[in-house]
Amino acid sequence: MTAERLRLSAEAVRLGAAAADKADAIDQCGRLLLELGAVEEGYLPAMHEREHTIATYIGEGVAIPHGTNEARSLVRRTALAVVQFPDGVDWDGSDVRVAIGIAASGEEHIGVLSALATTLSVPEQAALLRTTTSVDAVIQLLTPAPENDPAEPRNEASR
Amino acid sequence: MSNTINGSDVRKVVIACDAGMGSSALLKTQLAQSLKPYGVTVEHTAVNAIPIDADVVVTQAGLAGRARKSAPDTPVVTFQMFLGDPAFTKLEAAIRDGADIDG
Repeated sequence: MTAERLRLSAEAVRLGAAAADKADAIDQCGRLLLELGAVEEGYLPAMHEREHTIATYIGEGVAIPHGTNEARSLVRRTALAVVQFPDGVDWDGSDVRVAIGIAASGEEHIGVLSALATTLSVPEQAALLRTTTSVDAVIQLLTPAPENDPAEPRNEASR
Repeated sequence: MSNTINGSDVRKVVIACDAGMGSSALLKTQLAQSLKPYGVTVEHTAVNAIPIDADVVVTQAGLAGRARKSAPDTPVVTFQMFLGDPAFTKLEAAIRDGADIDG
């Protein structure tokens, strides 16, 4: 049995949002995870708690708010929630345009996060993620290459 | 306080972050790809759950204290930036060239 690989669905992407501040932006990510049925209510405070410990800004205008290790029990299923803030959110002095809420119980999301890392290493693609008005474009930017998907069945013969 | 390992002795690198589901997961694939040619595996965990067979721990600077407490006998390499931090290229070079890794 292979682990299920996470793919972003259109419902997990919100473009053109606005947030008053970082806490509001984290709440929006958390509520979207809640709407997706990925977490229990109690996961949202854990996201703020985690953020307070050490900020989740990763660069290129992107932050990845998520819960604490202890809050894993409040995760029903692994999911990501992408919320874009075209006007920016002050994230402890960094300007965040995209916040990606993470709820993970396993490893299913590693592929999408590796696609995120790849996207952010190419300035034009990072800019597209921050500014696009196309949900499909976001999904495309966060779709892992097959070889970066750890749950992909290994096929050594195909190399 | 500080631990050292030679890069040629490294078999397993563990990326540790606070919850083990965000930043460490983000970094895992890229580091695994860059270290694969040297026979090094990469795992990611929460900082409080670093496996004892880790040869090197990689973590963001703000978590270094907790990582050292969690893995007192293992070198802890720290980074400031998730994207393009020189610590990653330095680690890869040390493993490739068999140089000492301190931390």
